[in-house]
Amino acid sequence: MTMHILPKAGLCRLTDELAERYALYGPVRREVSGEVVFDLVSDPSEISLDAPIPNTPPKSVVFPQAERIMSFSFDRETKSASIERDDLSVSKALVGLRACDLNGLLCLDRFFLGQEYVDEVYLDHRKRMFIVSNTCVHPFPQCFCVCTDSGPAATEGFDLDLTDIGDDYLVLTGSPKGEELVRKLGLAEAPAAQAALRAKAVDASVCLFDDQAKDNKAWISRAVNRITTGFIPYEVWEYIGHQCFECGACSFVCPTCSCFNIEDVAAGEGRTGRMRAWDSCSFEGYSRMAGDHNPRKPVEDRRNKRFFCKLSFSQSKKYLRPGCVGCGRCVRVCPGDIGLPNVVTYIRRETIKQVPSE
Amino acid sequence: MIYKTGVCNFCGTGCGHLLKVNEGAVRGVFASPDHPVSEGRLCVRGWHIHELLTTRERITRALVRKNGVLEEASFDEAVSLAANRLAAFPPEAVAFRASPRASNEDNYLLGKLARAVFGANNIDLASDSGHGNTVDVLLESGGLPVLLASVADIRKAGVILVIGADVTKQNPILGSELHKAARNGARLITLSSRVTQIARLSETHLQSKPGSKKVVLAAMAKALIDEGLEDRAFIGGNTSGFEDFARALEGFDMSRVAGLTGLDPDAIRVAACSLAGAGTAMAVFASGISGLERETIAMAHNLLLAAGKVGREGCGLLPATGICNIAGSWDMGATPRFLPGYTKVGDASAAERIGKLWSAKLNGRSGKTVDELLSASPTPIKALVVADHDEGIIRHAGAIKGLDFVVYVGAFDNPFTDLAHVVLPAASYAETDGTYTNTERRIQLNRKKVEPGPGVLPAWGIWAAIAGKRGVSWPYRTSSDVMEEIAAAVPAYSAVTYGKLEKGFGLQWPCDGRHPEGCPRPGPGELSGRLAFAAVSGEFSAPAPTYDYPFLLTVGTDNYFWHTNNIMKKTHIPKREYNALLLLYPRGLVEISAEDAARIGVRDKRLVNVISASGSMQVAAKISAEVRPGTVYVPYFIGDMITGFLEAHESLMEGGEDSVVPVRIESV
Repeated sequence: MTMHILPKAGLCRLTDELAERYALYGPVRREVSGEVVFDLVSDPSEISLDAPIPNTPPKSVVFPQAERIMSFSFDRETKSASIERDDLSVSKALVGLRACDLNGLLCLDRFFLGQEYVDEVYLDHRKRMFIVSNTCVHPFPQCFCVCTDSGPAATEGFDLDLTDIGDDYLVLTGSPKGEELVRKLGLAEAPAAQAALRAKAVDASVCLFDDQAKDNKAWISRAVNRITTGFIPYEVWEYIGHQCFECGACSFVCPTCSCFNIEDVAAGEGRTGRMRAWDSCSFEGYSRMAGDHNPRKPVEDRRNKRFFCKLSFSQSKKYLRPGCVGCGRCVRVCPGDIGLPNVVTYIRRETIKQVPSE
Repeated sequence: MIYKTGVCNFCGTGCGHLLKVNEGAVRGVFASPDHPVSEGRLCVRGWHIHELLTTRERITRALVRKNGVLEEASFDEAVSLAANRLAAFPPEAVAFRASPRASNEDNYLLGKLARAVFGANNIDLASDSGHGNTVDVLLESGGLPVLLASVADIRKAGVILVIGADVTKQNPILGSELHKAARNGARLITLSSRVTQIARLSETHLQSKPGSKKVVLAAMAKALIDEGLEDRAFIGGNTSGFEDFARALEGFDMSRVAGLTGLDPDAIRVAACSLAGAGTAMAVFASGISGLERETIAMAHNLLLAAGKVGREGCGLLPATGICNIAGSWDMGATPRFLPGYTKVGDASAAERIGKLWSAKLNGRSGKTVDELLSASPTPIKALVVADHDEGIIRHAGAIKGLDFVVYVGAFDNPFTDLAHVVLPAASYAETDGTYTNTERRIQLNRKKVEPGPGVLPAWGIWAAIAGKRGVSWPYRTSSDVMEEIAAAVPAYSAVTYGKLEKGFGLQWPCDGRHPEGCPRPGPGELSGRLAFAAVSGEFSAPAPTYDYPFLLTVGTDNYFWHTNNIMKKTHIPKREYNALLLLYPRGLVEISAEDAARIGVRDKRLVNVISASGSMQVAAKISAEVRPGTVYVPYFIGDMITGFLEAHESLMEGGEDSVVPVRIESV
């Protein structure tokens, strides 16, 4: 890893260079409302690196909400099948990915690519990707990445990492692709004193959490402990389950959620298309099997499963990190007010009560 | 930039969303964090609207029935046929059913087509009976026909009374607002005979006997008055008719409360005092899809009025409209009794004003709803035009088969077309500009996102084409043109323009000369006079079981409305979720409490006969913890249940949640 300097005015050189070979994605502020989305841009200047965390999770770049992955048809007369796989591989550059979302991407990598079976559809999306991450020099109101070891700066997984130090960006290379681009742009290496500013910026950012990231805190260690060992009274899950509106939003916005559904739909001209789309374990139908066997039928059992995925050690082993990245999106989209920080609070509160008094 | 702002087209909450559009097609949907009502939330339906919008199960061509079979025809041929055949019937023999999901522009012009071109006043809205009672009671009491406040007032209410509605399933994001208010300290009281999710999330659940909500509300009002807690200053300064109401309550003997309602009178008294004592309070009920009887709505209105909880921040009676444009369609006059803007059909000066605007002489005789017309035996109509209905009308399939001429206009494939002689393809709501009015009077503009199929028009364009074939030429080129005329016809919309609607997240009517940017909380200045206490019957009764029919059967059309809904069947995940019960109980089900089931020897999923004095049906039993003992509950009707049982009990759909049929249950 080497550290370089890029004057802010020169950012467009970086994005223009990427735009030559990659479809560019980045945080964009929408015109009327100012909401931030992580979107495909046609003009690199649309990307706003100081915009708050995008409401749409960047995971949709590698794991779209709905897409066709193949199509097929069967000719009854000749008894021959024609199967065509959709070519989903497009070179993409993600510019301005925050550390939480990058850690989410790494969880998805380990889930889709790092287990016994490699998911070819995910691989198609993921390969030929260039990632430019963006250190959060200050948190946003919803952030709690410091509780989940996923920010405010990225530690791995990027090709280039940017840190705003005023008039310039510090550019940290994280891969041979990153080093090559830096060479191509002719970026000067940062002198040691300036390079050290990255660590200082991260420290300063962490100190700002108390004042600026007030919406959510999740002191997850007791929750991790209890969820892993199963020592949580069932009443706690019922309390959480009562508040679940079974909408699926938490799964859709979560950077680490990877569940999907497959549907075959008419694709026109006698062909059938196989669609892959986001699904959520909050739905009763998600785990229902033939004959109505359902290992997670009551809503509290489904909520139990979700937080097991996010916080239990068994799942973290697969992700090589906790399943929650502290982005705060689930809190904002939940109609029932059971985002992860609240659930952690309930678990802590209920398990404290179990301690016998003197 | 591929995320485009829009408004969800399912329920009446009117949540904002971002539709993801790429290469001319809808690809996905996302919640809109800055939308003032939904604030980044959507329900399972809203999160999957892209599945509906990308289905191939669309009506793409005009169809005409020839020799018993629907064949493709040119749009011109089909429209000419429709126009000419409809004109051949006398106006009383023709009826029009508007869709509550259609835009204001669509339904305004359907009203104009029916009244100005065909002289017919038989135009109604699917889900009419649910919302009709609300409109009647509120208009008669001098208010506006919907909420006199905003959804945002929920956050400022100290006490919230949920009357019946399974609101977290019907209007989930409204339910979310109620829940979050409760978590912030508001006292949530649910009055319902079933244990709904909102009941579980409430501090107090008054689990009343079915059909007795009006008695409970009367008892609450009486308790309030007996304790001297009525808001005298508010009543004296802002209302009329309190004395009559108080007198009507005098005749009510509180010792009968427990027997009639199944509730402890002290619990009712505590709830009433809580409501009165709070600085601010609101009440919520379901309107449209499901609804309450007039008397129940009147009692709820009067209770809030007596407690002084109307017309200011954090207060109000909220009829939660169940479908996205029930409110707007009523504003547009898609009803047999009202012209646009809630003037009565028989009102001479209104008829003259609208008639002048429409260049037609209007028929002064009030029309009837399609349900009334088709339920009558024999039915007085010969022709029916149905726009984009979802499912409810199918209970009249028998009567519809006997009609001479049926036209269906819609965007999505619908088994209803089996009954139609002419079918015309309409654009889906994402394929055209249109405005929709939600439950807090918010008129929102949904812009076109993708192109419709070749030659496919928005519904309003089809109405214009039919008018054109009758020699009436309408000048509209765009939806915005139609809104210009709506602004001239409906006083509360008079200052609405697409330009204004587009700047933010819509405007709440009245949006007129006095309120050019809309009005979040209409007060005395926006009403034509004082608010009045609604007339009540002075009788206090509730349905009672008998020896032969010991169970009280109620039906729910709220949480499971979307279950048997035609457009929901075009989705994947919502369909999967809603189908869960259908797969287990394919012949329908009746919910019964475990205690009752054990007592009469009924087991889960086994067939039972449900027998009333008027008819019977055979369905499976479902043991449920949510049903009050002594009550049985049917969440939805399918197949034989519709023709066999529902036809014999037309009243079940009329009174919504308050309708009760005494039945007995026997194992098969």
